[in-house]
Amino acid sequence: MIDESRKLRSRIFYSLFFFFGLALTVYLFAVLQSLILPTLIGFFLAYITKPVLTFLEKKKIPRWGAVLIILLGWILLIVGIGQRIISLLPDKQHELVIRVQTQAKINDLYLSLFGKEDINAKGNFLDELFGNETLPLMTTLNNFMKLNAEEEKTFLNYVNSSNYTPEERNRILKMYESVKKINSNLAVNKNENNKEKTKENPFEILPSLIPTSEIAQFFSEISKWIVMPFVFIFILLDDGEIKKFLINILPNRYFEMSFAVFDNVDKALGKYLRGTILQSSLVGGVIFIGLFLIGFKPGSAVLIGIIAGISNVIPYLGPLIGYGAGILYGMIVGKLNPVLPFIPQDAAIWGSVIVVFIAQILDNTIFQPVILGKAVNLHPLVIILGVMGGGIAFGFWGMFLAIPTIVVFRVIISTIYKQLRDYQLIY
Amino acid sequence: MEDKKTLFERIIWDNSLIQKFTSKQLTIIDALKNNVFFGELTKNEIKQLAKIVYEREFNSQEYIFMNGQPAAAMFIILDGEVKIIRESEDAEVEITRLKTNDTLGELALLDNSPRSASAVAIKPTKLLAIFREDLNDFINSQPELGAKILRKLAIITGYRLRMTNDLLVEKDEELKQCKKKLERLEEND
Repeated sequence: MIDESRKLRSRIFYSLFFFFGLALTVYLFAVLQSLILPTLIGFFLAYITKPVLTFLEKKKIPRWGAVLIILLGWILLIVGIGQRIISLLPDKQHELVIRVQTQAKINDLYLSLFGKEDINAKGNFLDELFGNETLPLMTTLNNFMKLNAEEEKTFLNYVNSSNYTPEERNRILKMYESVKKINSNLAVNKNENNKEKTKENPFEILPSLIPTSEIAQFFSEISKWIVMPFVFIFILLDDGEIKKFLINILPNRYFEMSFAVFDNVDKALGKYLRGTILQSSLVGGVIFIGLFLIGFKPGSAVLIGIIAGISNVIPYLGPLIGYGAGILYGMIVGKLNPVLPFIPQDAAIWGSVIVVFIAQILDNTIFQPVILGKAVNLHPLVIILGVMGGGIAFGFWGMFLAIPTIVVFRVIISTIYKQLRDYQLIY
Repeated sequence: MEDKKTLFERIIWDNSLIQKFTSKQLTIIDALKNNVFFGELTKNEIKQLAKIVYEREFNSQEYIFMNGQPAAAMFIILDGEVKIIRESEDAEVEITRLKTNDTLGELALLDNSPRSASAVAIKPTKLLAIFREDLNDFINSQPELGAKILRKLAIITGYRLRMTNDLLVEKDEELKQCKKKLERLEEND
């Protein structure tokens, strides 16, 4: 028989234990904030790899061997994709050419849209309506993209000495001249802006007192991210001990129910995470094929496909990044070399927009409903606030992982509620 | 109280197949090895199975599971005693009592149909629990072991079905004879 005083003691003990645990968790979250992201990523990577582990174990490979194979596979994949991306990225000199080309195209677009002959001249009605807002934006953009004296020298040397055809060289130099003209016209604005900045925040132009050595930054980042492979390995090596521990600390009345919660969350989460990866790969694949067919270079099509596929995980903003990457490349590329005969050679921008649009239509009508079903049935407001909140708290990775994290919490809470009712523990 | 339990309930809960052991406490490995479902497994296989086994302690009068709850796990009594009861609004019918190395709730290994009765510890009891989903994963990763366990489960379920059929036939005969007796009595009247 359980006497009343024993019951009371148990209640006091468990309540104290719970509040102490909660306080400790909150404190650790606050202190070790920088470790949350690497831990989460390590956990997610291990989670999506679990089926491979089961498959390898079925083939009679011991768990440690299977984990080793998976770890090597990930390293090869990351290094391989990383190297491929790096090889596709333009070198420093070519990057300067791309910067000039992009800047010139953006300026041309702006001038023609607002009916201006010069950046400081008066334009059409659009300029009258929005000119005051857009001119500072263009000034900031041009200042950001502008080449400094040393870069200008490198740029001119490169353009004059590399294998450009005379026609191409003239086109690039013409763009360079137009950019230079606009930059000189904007120089007055820039100086004024700097004066204002000095008034507002005098520390901003002072050299920073924080050590910013690249090596120090590198080691600081490494020390944070070193936790990721450890989390990854230990989650994969875990033979159910974590689940057992968590179930064992719960009271008897929740014993069977807690297992059902773990099991359902595990299945829903695995389905969602693996589904998201498949969905993103399909979106990236469609964009790659589409861009290749309209005449983008295969390397560039792969790069844009990867960027669009990865960013597709971020709802609403992700597709915009896909459009942005396509348009940006479309602006630089000039003429296309289409595989499909009916595609015009100068349709790079519109072509990329249509390809990303088709990929998004396919994603929303086929990929997402078939692969994920109603797993991500979140209210748009929750999605927007989640992505923005994640971005504010943890930057890009926060935005990237916001929706998976919200989905995880939603699955956990709804499963606990359902199981508590099924086990007749609540009404 | 004993008279109130139905024949079907006796078949389901009496565990006549399962060997009865003394009430001395067993280790997890021993308990699994001596259990009717896992008796065919080698010691090494039992060790692997032990990884998915949970050990729980229940106080006297504490419910292990309740009638109507979804069934997720099978239990093996490591030490102690458990009564299987069927509760109605005004009464509690004890169907059977189970002791060390007896099994309860084994149909949970097949599906998650609700429990047909409640199980309550009569004295402080140690149990081993094996969950259906864990066992399914175990069977998937080691199909040969899974085949042994499932075959045993099928044999026991089949045996119980045969016993139920025999009892049904027996009771049907009894019913027919009762009817005949009743008819004869009516004719005499």
